Amino acid sequence: MADEGEDPVNGTSDENSEKSQQKKQAKYDSGAADLEKVTDYAEEKEISTQDVANAISAIGDRRNQAALEKQAREKELLKVLIKKEDVDLIVKEMEISRSKAERTLRENHGNVVNALISLTN
Amino acid sequence: MPSSNPLPPKENALFKRILKSYEHKQYKNGLKFAKQILTNAKFQEHGETLAMKGLTLNCLGRKEEAYEHVRRGLRNDLKSHVCWHVYGLLQRSDKKYDEAIKCYRNALKWEKDNIQILRDLSLLQIQMRDLEGYRDTRYQLLMLRPIQRASWIGYAMSFHLLEDFKNALSILDTFLDQQQRLNIIDYEHSELVLYQNQVIQESGDLKQALKHLEKMSDQIVDRLTFKENLGNLHLRLENWNKAADIYEELIQRNPENTIYYKKLIEAKRLTKEADIVDFYMKYNEKFPRAMPPKRLPLNYATGEQFRILLDKYMRKALSKGVPPLFVDLRSLYKDPKKIQLIEELVLSYIESLKKVSKYCETDVGPKEPASAILWVYYYLAQHYDYLKQFEKALEYIETAIEHTPTLIELFVTKGRIFKHAGNPIEAYQCLDEAQAMDTADRYINSKCAKYMLRANLIKEAEDTCAKFTREGVSAMENLNEMQCMWFQTECALAYQRLGKFGDALKKCHEIDRHFSEIIEDQFDFHTYCMRKMTLRSYVGLLRLEDVLRGHPFYFKAAKCAIEVYLHLFDSPLKDENAEQELNTENLAPSELKKLKNKQRKAKKKAEQENAQAREAQVKRDQHHKSRQQGDVEADAPQLDELIPDKLARVDDPLEQAIKFLEPLQSLARDRMETHLMAFEVYYRKRKILLMLQSIKRAHQVEPSHPKLHSCLIRFLQVFNENQRNFDPAVLEVITSETKSLLSTKDAKKLNKEFLDSRKGSLKAALEGAIATYQLDNKLQKEALGLVMDIDHNKYTDVDIEICTEIYKNLRNGKLGACAQSQLDAFVAQCRKRYPHAEAFQPPQEIKAQPQTNHVTTEQDSN
Repeated sequence: MADEGEDPVNGTSDENSEKSQQKKQAKYDSGAADLEKVTDYAEEKEISTQDVANAISAIGDRRNQAALEKQAREKELLKVLIKKEDVDLIVKEMEISRSKAERTLRENHGNVVNALISLTN
Repeated sequence: MPSSNPLPPKENALFKRILKSYEHKQYKNGLKFAKQILTNAKFQEHGETLAMKGLTLNCLGRKEEAYEHVRRGLRNDLKSHVCWHVYGLLQRSDKKYDEAIKCYRNALKWEKDNIQILRDLSLLQIQMRDLEGYRDTRYQLLMLRPIQRASWIGYAMSFHLLEDFKNALSILDTFLDQQQRLNIIDYEHSELVLYQNQVIQESGDLKQALKHLEKMSDQIVDRLTFKENLGNLHLRLENWNKAADIYEELIQRNPENTIYYKKLIEAKRLTKEADIVDFYMKYNEKFPRAMPPKRLPLNYATGEQFRILLDKYMRKALSKGVPPLFVDLRSLYKDPKKIQLIEELVLSYIESLKKVSKYCETDVGPKEPASAILWVYYYLAQHYDYLKQFEKALEYIETAIEHTPTLIELFVTKGRIFKHAGNPIEAYQCLDEAQAMDTADRYINSKCAKYMLRANLIKEAEDTCAKFTREGVSAMENLNEMQCMWFQTECALAYQRLGKFGDALKKCHEIDRHFSEIIEDQFDFHTYCMRKMTLRSYVGLLRLEDVLRGHPFYFKAAKCAIEVYLHLFDSPLKDENAEQELNTENLAPSELKKLKNKQRKAKKKAEQENAQAREAQVKRDQHHKSRQQGDVEADAPQLDELIPDKLARVDDPLEQAIKFLEPLQSLARDRMETHLMAFEVYYRKRKILLMLQSIKRAHQVEPSHPKLHSCLIRFLQVFNENQRNFDPAVLEVITSETKSLLSTKDAKKLNKEFLDSRKGSLKAALEGAIATYQLDNKLQKEALGLVMDIDHNKYTDVDIEICTEIYKNLRNGKLGACAQSQLDAFVAQCRKRYPHAEAFQPPQEIKAQPQTNHVTTEQDSN
């Protein structure tokens, strides 16, 4: 209270009106303002256990069978011979990216008619 | 290798404080510390400090300075992971995710085990759905930080999202094994167990899922989800008795959940309708206050039993005054017999209520409340409205209003009847009246605005909405900010009807941006959900975002945009300047002078308006800046302003249309309109195979749709005209794929077959008629004969929409030039059939716009 009494200079009416304006603004923005104060930063929770080492050794880098098969299939696909004219035709007719056209053509063993049919499905 | 230019201890401590300030969003402090380092002459070009200063500036909304500082920092220290990381963060805040990923990868080159960078990278990968990359990054994180919970969960989840359930489960197992030794059973643990169960269920091993759920029962605190899952698993595994027990318990717990009753019926294997009705009767006795056992048997009961149950149900609702009674019962209207019974019953109420104030004259007991008859009138109005008997509907609603002129619902219903009868103006006037009766009711306010938009009254609608939007900002802007999509869609459609194509497109693009924003908003959840362990909801969110643009709101806006773009392709807007110059050639000198004067004034006015708009824009920007200060995610890149005129004058309307079309093609494949619109776009591009694609897909959805016929005919026309120019491969594709679609390649023959096979349908007749005329314009008389006569019960599917469409086609020449007398005769028929429909009113009543242009010019020059 004493502080307020000693410092009357700061309490000009100008500031007050500004304050009330701000208050009004603040009324609308209060939710947003509160949100602003929240940081994205947070400590990660840790698990306390001695057996982490054991557990981690059980994990290893897993590439399951399916992923390996998929990789092999990708390799197979790359081996398929395709003609540039066919890719051009697919890109022009179906308006898709070159990479997608090539892929479809490969999946259809380079047969442009089948590739186009599958794309019209 | 931290940096090529390490700071001495004192500065290093300051640098750490910059980082801390950034993390805690104390940006001003951060700048202060950065200044302390940079003012030292030795370190004024210190790369990492410059970069951090830039990042901090970015958070304060000073984007340009931010980029300048970060780039300068990076140039001074190309081998610093901090600089690269910061550059990545900056790109990320600008939503340039691909660029950001590249930066992170560069940063990892210099410091491959940096947790923070790996974490940020993983966030971008999941956001961009690079699931395999995500899995690899999560693997590295787990190896580096095996004691953190999030590392395990993240790695397991990456397998789950890749649908590699085996690996996902084995990681969760290993992790939970560790956890269980600690014996902490809290909510987060319980959620994790439920997530594990979800993964097992999705892997398809239901027995294992059931075993797991039962074993973990005491660790799951969310008992409701536990029970629901348990019941569902028993049901799917056909353990009927156990499933039945659980659903009994669930009903006990919440007798209002309709799903429980349906599942219990399934578990009890009741299939006969009579048994199901008995089942509900039993539960009605057990839970006399619950609604489902009263309402649901109405779906199954028939004949006299239906009448008795319905009588009981309706009496209660009518005495109590339940406004949505009709909406509640509407689903019964699929069955014409039930409609008949309802109508008879409600009409009998009126008779008795009028005479003795009871639902039945032979009833004993007290009289019904005076309001009962009001609700009966109200119900009947909606009943006849549904059956499209608008005269009767209006009669009853008027009686109701006479009875109680202060009930808002009555006016809303009156408006709805007018809307269905084809008169949006009368409809909006009723809603306006309703709205005036309670201006504090936001629902009525919104409904009223919507009806105004249907009547093309955009300004009025905005003013109505303004009663509830934020003060100080224009309602239109606030509604956009609030992502109020129903308003924007209706607005776009109103602009489309008014021919203001640029404005319509602006609204459509705004809606498109809302959807992009919703996808962006996902970003925050990648860290939040992982931390809070709400994994089931998180996976649900990811799956929702994947199909977000399949939402009906997007469909509606995209459809409007595509239609507008198609229209702009067919009849592009003329260049205003060129048009004016053409006019000036035929003017007398004095008139030319006047015109030029006028133009100069118009230009000046436009400039003034522009300046005002710019000022407003600056204010808006400032407003945004001040609001967003200090939030990394929120200061989205400034999107290009949407300018209606520019949007309407694009060079490539079809390409623009395709942008809206593509999400529909992948996410709304089951909707006929998607493929019909796709056809319209590709037909204009003359892309025969893409036309074929649209037709094939449309054929799968609804082979008998009349509009598909029009597509087939036009496909054949394009094919027959260009046959010689096609690549042999294309020809082969068409030959093999049209076999099942087309019985003949002769368009005229095809059209005749179509018309012969679809005699009772006016919609089919219109498509056939247009094709008939387009294929041979000598046959105009035959074509017109098909559609001009809508009476005499020739067709079974006559409604306002198709009549309006025929009228439109008669006027726009698709069926050849028509004499005014023919048009008048057709409209007269329609008017007789639909007396309220605005489309068929005599023209002078609609086009009552006063021609005041001349007067205003006079005033201007004074």
